[in-house]
Amino acid sequence: MKNKIYPFYFTFGALILYLLFVVLPGFMGIAYSFTDWNSYSTKVNFVGLDNFRTIFSSEENYLDYIRHTLFFTVNTIILKTLIGLFLAVLLNHGVRRLTHLYRVIIYLPVVLPTIVVGLVFKSILNPRTGLLNEFFRSVGLDSLTRKWLVDPDIAMLSVIGVDTWKGVGYIMVILIAGLQTIPKEYYEAAEIDGASPFGRFRHITLPLLVPALTVVTILNLFYGLRVFDIIYVLTGGGPGYRTDVVFTAVFDEFSKGRYGVGTALSSVLFIFMTVFGFFIVRKLTPAEA
Amino acid sequence: MKKLTFIIVGLFLFLPVGGTQARESVTLTYMASQNWIPEAEMELGAKFEEETGIHIDYQIIPSDQYFNVLQTRLNTGEATDIFGGQSGVTDLIVNYNVEKNAVDLSDQEWVSRMDPLVVAQATVNSKVYGLTLWDVIGTTWVVNYNKTIFEEEGLSVPTTFDEFKSTCESLLDAGIIPIYEPMAAGWHHVLWFPELGPRYEEVTPGLAEMLNTNQATFADNPTMLTVLEQFKDLYDTGCFGDNTLADTYEYLPEALASGEYAMAVANLTNPQTVAEAFPDVSPDTFGFFVMPLADNQNLNINPAGPTKFIYSGSDHIDEARQYFEFLTRPENLQYLIDNNPAMRTLPFEGVSFNLLPSQQEFLDSFPPEKRGTVYQTAVNYVNPQWMDIGQDLVAMLIEDIKPKDVLETIDERRSDTAKTAKDPAWGD
Repeated sequence: MKNKIYPFYFTFGALILYLLFVVLPGFMGIAYSFTDWNSYSTKVNFVGLDNFRTIFSSEENYLDYIRHTLFFTVNTIILKTLIGLFLAVLLNHGVRRLTHLYRVIIYLPVVLPTIVVGLVFKSILNPRTGLLNEFFRSVGLDSLTRKWLVDPDIAMLSVIGVDTWKGVGYIMVILIAGLQTIPKEYYEAAEIDGASPFGRFRHITLPLLVPALTVVTILNLFYGLRVFDIIYVLTGGGPGYRTDVVFTAVFDEFSKGRYGVGTALSSVLFIFMTVFGFFIVRKLTPAEA
Repeated sequence: MKKLTFIIVGLFLFLPVGGTQARESVTLTYMASQNWIPEAEMELGAKFEEETGIHIDYQIIPSDQYFNVLQTRLNTGEATDIFGGQSGVTDLIVNYNVEKNAVDLSDQEWVSRMDPLVVAQATVNSKVYGLTLWDVIGTTWVVNYNKTIFEEEGLSVPTTFDEFKSTCESLLDAGIIPIYEPMAAGWHHVLWFPELGPRYEEVTPGLAEMLNTNQATFADNPTMLTVLEQFKDLYDTGCFGDNTLADTYEYLPEALASGEYAMAVANLTNPQTVAEAFPDVSPDTFGFFVMPLADNQNLNINPAGPTKFIYSGSDHIDEARQYFEFLTRPENLQYLIDNNPAMRTLPFEGVSFNLLPSQQEFLDSFPPEKRGTVYQTAVNYVNPQWMDIGQDLVAMLIEDIKPKDVLETIDERRSDTAKTAKDPAWGD
């Protein structure tokens, strides 16, 4: 303790602010999920598990929203990690010229506001006037044209596609940073030993990239479970309820003034994220000897 | 010397008057959502100030934030002297609690000149609380059809659902998309359902009242089920075209102007809007008929709209009443109609409407017994779930749920809201 430069009480200011504005509201949210808090009445009554019963009742759509959220999360994790890894390896080892330019171009969608990406893609994916279908028609591939965002069977896939396009650059940058920490000597030694490129990737790159991959998976997991804006802008949860996720439902509940059910839904997600996050971190982080 | 005496006497004569005027100089604050106060009303506000010395401070709030801002100010007791709100009995009670927050205006002279249907929507327990200066007639939602296309295809105005469907089929055969229905907007396609209120009421007299007292449900009403099934039938037949789920409301004027589509549900005064955007299209290109689902032949009137209330906690209630009196003078009402393209009628006696002859003729073809109030206004707890009904309807069209499920879901939401609002009809 003696080698500390500042005394412990220096953290009190930050700690109090953190407790007051982050921890306390979090717990209050969980507490409110057991009440009938709403915009129509000034009284807040304790209702026990009623809100949770509503959420998990088979008559409501909430279970579907949870399923959609998981489907979105799993698919974006897989796609962003695979494509991000491919691009990272390509730009770290494969491409020799203009690498910085490519990195910037791939990273660019990350800095665009989601609402802009949403509006642009809504126009690109419009079945009648959109760029994508126009392109297919112009090259005679009419059979590939789709009603991207309004066909119930592919709307969610289209959203996942757009989200992957927007988010993959971020993942790529983290993985490039991870790749650059791997010493070149390992590859040289493996090459001398006659390891194939795939063997080098499998036995050097992947194991040494696990910390970066862990970070990427956790970031994608939390992003996926909390997804809202891209879905809200692209489909608004439609067609019907096919792309509604937990947070579009929370938004809906709040705008209807049913704050109790809204907070219950976000509490469910909070617990889910905490538990999942904990296990994933434990599973992916090698035990420190 | 004479001059000086004159000045001194003059000063003594006018000073007290000036002093009183300074004390009486009042500023009325008036908060409303954007587009609720037309330019023409502000011009009248300036004339009002000239006449009375009372200044009006208009506070315009973006529409997506307005409701929250208003609620907060009403709840904290800091509302403006005059505030805007949507009329409709449920809204008045649930959203604005007018019995507590607004001033009773029943004894005002202009109330007797306001359309009784409109007055009813600003009334709670026989007391009138609001002044509705809104074009409730011009904004009536009817099918606008392209007369030229109908003539070319030898079609006549359909009066039953079967005729309507066969009209659509003939148009499809001729390679014309029958109806522009912008479902991507999320709200427009909902019009086909609650706007048919007068028809539901005609088939089941007193239905709205029964729904409001929780003695009837949507799910048990066969006419409503028929309307939803027929709406789906139109969708399945291709009457709304291939792209309807992605079509947007903004394109509606162009869709009609281009002749690509033969019909669309739009405001009665939509032809003027189309003609403004596309000057080579005459407003007379379009004719009108009511949405004929469930063989409806009644005119759907929505007597609710943005309405002005006087805040009960205001220090200037009399001045605010004076402003309402001023606005409702016949010449000022006429000024509003004549100087505002978006306001072609007002729900008051003694004003002349700025409608096309064809529009006036269409309105006149409905005797009072063939006019009725739309259900989002006549029935409680429907309007707040408008966008949800929109999602339900699309879910029905893509066969995720059945028409009956849509009605049951509406009942559930109504019951939830009613219980939350502690509506005695729903008990505890």
